[in-house]
Amino acid sequence: MAIPVMKESWQSKVLEVVLGATPEKGGTRGKTITIGGESTLPYLLSEGDIPNRPQVAMEVWDIAPDNWEEQLMEPFADVIEDPAAWAQKCVEEFGADLVQLKLMSGDPEGEDAGPEDVEETVKKVLKAVDVPIIITGPGNEEKDNLLLPAAAEASRGENCLLGLAIEENYRTLAAACMANGHNIIATSPIDINLCKQVNILLSEMDVPKNRIVIDPTTGALGYGIEYTYSIMERIRLGALQADKMIAMPFLNFVGEEAWRTKEARESAQEGGDIRLGISWEILTAVNFIHAGSDLLVLRHPDSVKQIKEHIDVLMGS
Amino acid sequence: MKEYKVTFLPEGIEVYVEEGTTLLDAAAQGGIAIRAVCGGGGVCKRCIGIIHQGSYETSNQEDLGERGAVLCCETLVNDNLQVEIPSTSRVEDTSVLLEGEFQLDELAPALQSFELSLPEPEFGQNDSDLTRLSRGIEKILKSKEFTFPLEEIKKIPDVLRNNQWQVEVDVADLGSYYQVSRVKKVDNEKKYGLAVDIGTTTVVVSLIELKSGVEESRRGRYNKQARYGDDIINRIVHAVENKNGLKELQDAVIETIQELIAEVTDSAGIHPEEILTCVCAGNTTMVHLFLGLNPRYIRLEPYVPAATAPPPVLAKEVGLTIHPEAWIHFLPGIGSYVGGDITAGLLATGVADGEGTVLFLDMGTNGELVLGNKDWLLTCACSAGPAFEGSGTKSGMRAKQGAVEKFILKEDGRAFSCKTIGGGKPEGICGTGFISLLSTLSTGGFLDRRGGFTVEAPAIRKDDGEQEMVLLKKENAQGKRDLVIQERDIKNLLRAKAAIFAGIRIMLKKLDLDLAVVEKILVAGGFGNHLPVGEAISIGLLPDLSPDKFYFVGNTSLAGAQLYLLSRQARKKAVELASRMTYLELSEGNEFTEEFVSAMFIPHTDFSLFPSVAQKEQD
Repeated sequence: MAIPVMKESWQSKVLEVVLGATPEKGGTRGKTITIGGESTLPYLLSEGDIPNRPQVAMEVWDIAPDNWEEQLMEPFADVIEDPAAWAQKCVEEFGADLVQLKLMSGDPEGEDAGPEDVEETVKKVLKAVDVPIIITGPGNEEKDNLLLPAAAEASRGENCLLGLAIEENYRTLAAACMANGHNIIATSPIDINLCKQVNILLSEMDVPKNRIVIDPTTGALGYGIEYTYSIMERIRLGALQADKMIAMPFLNFVGEEAWRTKEARESAQEGGDIRLGISWEILTAVNFIHAGSDLLVLRHPDSVKQIKEHIDVLMGS
Repeated sequence: MKEYKVTFLPEGIEVYVEEGTTLLDAAAQGGIAIRAVCGGGGVCKRCIGIIHQGSYETSNQEDLGERGAVLCCETLVNDNLQVEIPSTSRVEDTSVLLEGEFQLDELAPALQSFELSLPEPEFGQNDSDLTRLSRGIEKILKSKEFTFPLEEIKKIPDVLRNNQWQVEVDVADLGSYYQVSRVKKVDNEKKYGLAVDIGTTTVVVSLIELKSGVEESRRGRYNKQARYGDDIINRIVHAVENKNGLKELQDAVIETIQELIAEVTDSAGIHPEEILTCVCAGNTTMVHLFLGLNPRYIRLEPYVPAATAPPPVLAKEVGLTIHPEAWIHFLPGIGSYVGGDITAGLLATGVADGEGTVLFLDMGTNGELVLGNKDWLLTCACSAGPAFEGSGTKSGMRAKQGAVEKFILKEDGRAFSCKTIGGGKPEGICGTGFISLLSTLSTGGFLDRRGGFTVEAPAIRKDDGEQEMVLLKKENAQGKRDLVIQERDIKNLLRAKAAIFAGIRIMLKKLDLDLAVVEKILVAGGFGNHLPVGEAISIGLLPDLSPDKFYFVGNTSLAGAQLYLLSRQARKKAVELASRMTYLELSEGNEFTEEFVSAMFIPHTDFSLFPSVAQKEQD
């Protein structure tokens, strides 16, 4: 006798967030990207739908990174000083679905660039590629609050994804995103309650729920990956059980975290075997895809290629 | 080593200290209790002194407002100094709110006194004096379990004969047995006993005439231990890590009680030595420090105290100057962080007597909770901090005359009016005032749910790098400073409310009970003279239940101590209660942290726990 397969049926689903705006919608992007919308746990396709495939973004800095190892820089060597060309290469040559523009020139301990410089960079990058873009600040509260509103205005109407909004500093960014028609990254330190709290704070400023993307804080393989995994799992279960305040899609900054590990760094130094670092990045990314990630930011082109193939298999395309 | 003279103003107290002594220590030497919430670590910035004369060395570089203003904990003496200690830096001495009623069913005090008329010895009836006396006592006590101290036995033959075999006997009830403390001439004088509530921040004593059970006088005061840190953890650290730390803390609390005894005996017109017995209720750490027991292991896993239910000790053993042979009793406690004050609370409120399930909350610096009924009792403790007692906040004060207990948003929606205890000019904000304030700010849209000021918030300024809202200008307040609330204060208040609410959630969860089973919530504590239930619910301090389920019961620790002093039944019941309570250790596992984080929000991360608040917001 056949044993019936028990199927879970969920009451709710993850919200869909649309990134980018085509000319009809007031932007200049060639296409828009939709993330989220899952009505099942990751890839249990017999219990629900995963209407949108996870998207892969690549990191682009507005200055040459000072902390990337030699071999990691190699694929970008010809474009490292020019964010527009760098972005273009990521999209056209390496197949990135989106790019994340990191405004690291604004770091007060580095170049300490001002809002005018940043505006210009944002415009150039938008011109160079037609995919939706993610824009993040240098991670210093004061500078973020100065630069991100400028970046938001420079990209007005393009429906970008801006971050990072954290519990201690979210108002300026939320206001800038709403005024200029952008989406926002809500970051919390690997804690389901704190995640929900940031989302509530943003909602109470009238940021629509379908304009928020959750960054649960990513731990790399061997460096806390299991903590992030289980928090993502809990958040997703909450979303499927109809808790609207945590029903947003996930974003994972995988490249940044994977290439921060000692092992990956050493592998990319002179004389090392960078394949180890690339594997580190791939394994970290695969783990989060299976935790329900909707958007992953990677660094190395080989990782992007492999991850996209993996997603193809999962989505059956 | 050089010695310098430090003069403290306005009293003009002079002390001589070695070069390099901190002003905080110098002040302690002069008997001046300075607020040092952080235990003298330069963190809390409450111990401000103003140097009028002399040069000094301080490691603090921040601007503290006034010229010559320094942090006493960070300033070393290297000259003769004149230092003013403003009242805002002091552990104040004025009385705190007193209340608490209790029901007494029988009068059988811990020290009973009765008259005996003994048959004179004659030939054929030549039992010893002691046997004769014992037989008489036995009849009255209906017990053979009593002893005599040798000193009293020595006096018996003469006392009996000099008084024609008519004597008065004082008998101390020591639990499992009695001790005959005195045999003397019948004088029909009043007999006095003392009930003491030793709180982490507040100490209250009550003088009671034992034959009638009538309270003669009651006084409250701040615990002088506050100069060594604000909560029990800081006190334990001080006791353990300083050479004379334990002694200093013991002296501080004894001194506090001693001063209160002087006040109550003055008021009753008696001498302190006429106090013949004493009952203390306090949390486990307070009892350790009072007795000079080492509190070190209370703080270390697996959190084992030296004693939760110490036996009675003699006054002369701890140096309390009441009658030297007076026994001091302690309400039995339950665990490291749930002490005899909670047993006292149950005794006074009868939580454990009924069919219905009751939640008892003692919102002190250390928040204790008891959930249960006549069949079962579960208890736990969570460190709430002193925010609701008016400490640990910039404009906070204890609940007494001049403390703001209610804030009302004026019609323009930009300024506040307020109501003070006693109706006078506002001097500071007490716990009740803070509950009202947070609720008013939050419903007015001036606070976001994590307790940060919104852009709509009026009268925001920066002080010491910290955002603060000016609530009342100093012109409208009594004293030298504006009444303000800082974002840091709000965080402290949220932490306190989150700790208490998390404790409630975990207790219910452990028993798999729904909040709806709780029939009554009794709230004890010294944060005001009433409990603004609606406002406390709206900020998520109290669970969202119908307001008629809440009862504010005041200082139940003292009320329980009074019962223990006066009733043998109560003493028996206290022992039984303490043994019946199941102690839940919240620091095991990570459940508490999780509940705590989700409660660090106004009212809570899970809105479904506060349906009435959500409903109001929608309207």
